Amino acid sequence: MDRIGKVEVSNPEKVLFPGMGLTKRDIIEYYIRIAPRMLPWLAGRPVVQNRFPDGIDHPGFFEKNAPRETPDWITLSPHLTETDRKMVNYIVCDNADTLIWLANLAAIELNITLSPANDPESPDFALFDIDPEPPATMEETVQVALALWEFLEGLGIRGYVKTSGKKGLHIVIPLKPGYTFRQVRTFVHATGILLARDLEVVVSEFSRSRDPGTVFVDYLQNAAWKTMACPYSLRPVPGAPVSCPLSREEVTPSLKPQEFNIRTVISRTKDPWKGIFEDRQDIPVR
Amino acid sequence: MTEDTTPPGIPHRPIWTGSISIGLVNVPVKLLTMVRDHSIPFRLLHKADGQPIQYQRVCTRDNQVIPWEEVVRGYEVKKDEFVVFENEELEAMKPESDRRIRLEKFVYSLSVDPVYFNKSYLLVPDKSEDAYSLLLAAFRKTGRAGVGMVTLRTKEYPALVREYHDALILTTLHYADEVVNPLDMDEIRKLSGPSEKELGLAEKIVKDLSGEFDITEFEDTYRERLKVLIQKKMEGKTVTRKKPAAEEARKLMDALQETLVRLEHK
Repeated sequence: MDRIGKVEVSNPEKVLFPGMGLTKRDIIEYYIRIAPRMLPWLAGRPVVQNRFPDGIDHPGFFEKNAPRETPDWITLSPHLTETDRKMVNYIVCDNADTLIWLANLAAIELNITLSPANDPESPDFALFDIDPEPPATMEETVQVALALWEFLEGLGIRGYVKTSGKKGLHIVIPLKPGYTFRQVRTFVHATGILLARDLEVVVSEFSRSRDPGTVFVDYLQNAAWKTMACPYSLRPVPGAPVSCPLSREEVTPSLKPQEFNIRTVISRTKDPWKGIFEDRQDIPVR
Repeated sequence: MTEDTTPPGIPHRPIWTGSISIGLVNVPVKLLTMVRDHSIPFRLLHKADGQPIQYQRVCTRDNQVIPWEEVVRGYEVKKDEFVVFENEELEAMKPESDRRIRLEKFVYSLSVDPVYFNKSYLLVPDKSEDAYSLLLAAFRKTGRAGVGMVTLRTKEYPALVREYHDALILTTLHYADEVVNPLDMDEIRKLSGPSEKELGLAEKIVKDLSGEFDITEFEDTYRERLKVLIQKKMEGKTVTRKKPAAEEARKLMDALQETLVRLEHK
């Protein structure tokens, strides 16, 4: 493997997950094989890559701006930041070649915005980031996710659950056009507040998110240019877990997110999120 | 809606009766339609008054409407130059159906490439149950199918008679010269092979997505949406999204709205 498609692969034997002995070759292979499931999420969205050139045992770095060596066939989405008026050229991963190119940069983790590149202020997904604080465990996280799921169902809204790949769970709602990030953020926040009334373990405010033994329903990522782990992205922690879409049956108190990893996710034949892009929904807003 | 939404059920009447003939042996059969197109038909209307419109045959020289009696067929030998045929001349040329499916050879049924398949018909015994089931059993035992010629209406087709779900079916085939040879295309002829490593990875990807073929996994979503829309129009409704109406849902919504207001004023 020296050249794959348009990409000249460098150091394919470099070990990126030392515990499992996974090399860059393995990471590239994973992303090629998962591409049919993953590309619909990446296409048309700015990506923020989390790169670990020396493997996950060494510090990595988040990269928003396309690096200098970016080839001209990569799609870019320029954005002028409001705070310091700097131009950021986001990469848009709209084909398998770009995905391979990113993997070759040791971009183990890929994060996507919750709005399309051509209309970055208009969210097309709402995100509930359900994040436990130890000693709260996956068991409490699942309890909160199921309660949240039921709450949404009561409003006639279908939520879709995935593992974050680390400790938490994500629930996303595909949105009809016309909402602002402010509206979505307020809806997600309000839902957290109501949930906290019924469930003692839930906290709805950022200021309390580090309280031991709580589960924070994080609404803050619902903002322009903020991101979530792309469905099927690897996470840079031991075991090479994946942020994996789940079916309702899989969300049980015995859920073990580490079981959804680079080795197992590939062989999942059913897509639990089938039809999500056609399921755009309304949410109650002011 | 008058449109038929059931899967092709029991076909009404045979479109052809005749026999499968193998040498001197004849198996009388009836031929039934097997495949039904479920597209939703539309008629073209005049927008102003909603009345159906119709086509007319018009002479391109003087825009006169031409009755069928004055229509003949022409074969264009070169631009704007025709050799003319009377309908009777063409009729006389057409093959006459001898009401036989003449099987000349038995081949492995999988050896016929599906690109040649044209249209399939169900064959049912016509007071000939024993001969029919004997032929069926022989096909099943040998894994073979009969090939030959058949004339349906006024066209002669190559045809395949084979076993399908405990029955015999007839599939008309395309002639060889009706099918494009891929190697006539430069883009195909000039393909070069992949490397071993690329191929290995490609094989894995194919394996990832391997499964059993199940035609029922596929549905015509355009047609389904159209049906819903037609129903709505018939009821004089516009398309709106339905909301949960239960008391509980209303309470939930109230609480949420209250909270949204509170957050707004924070």
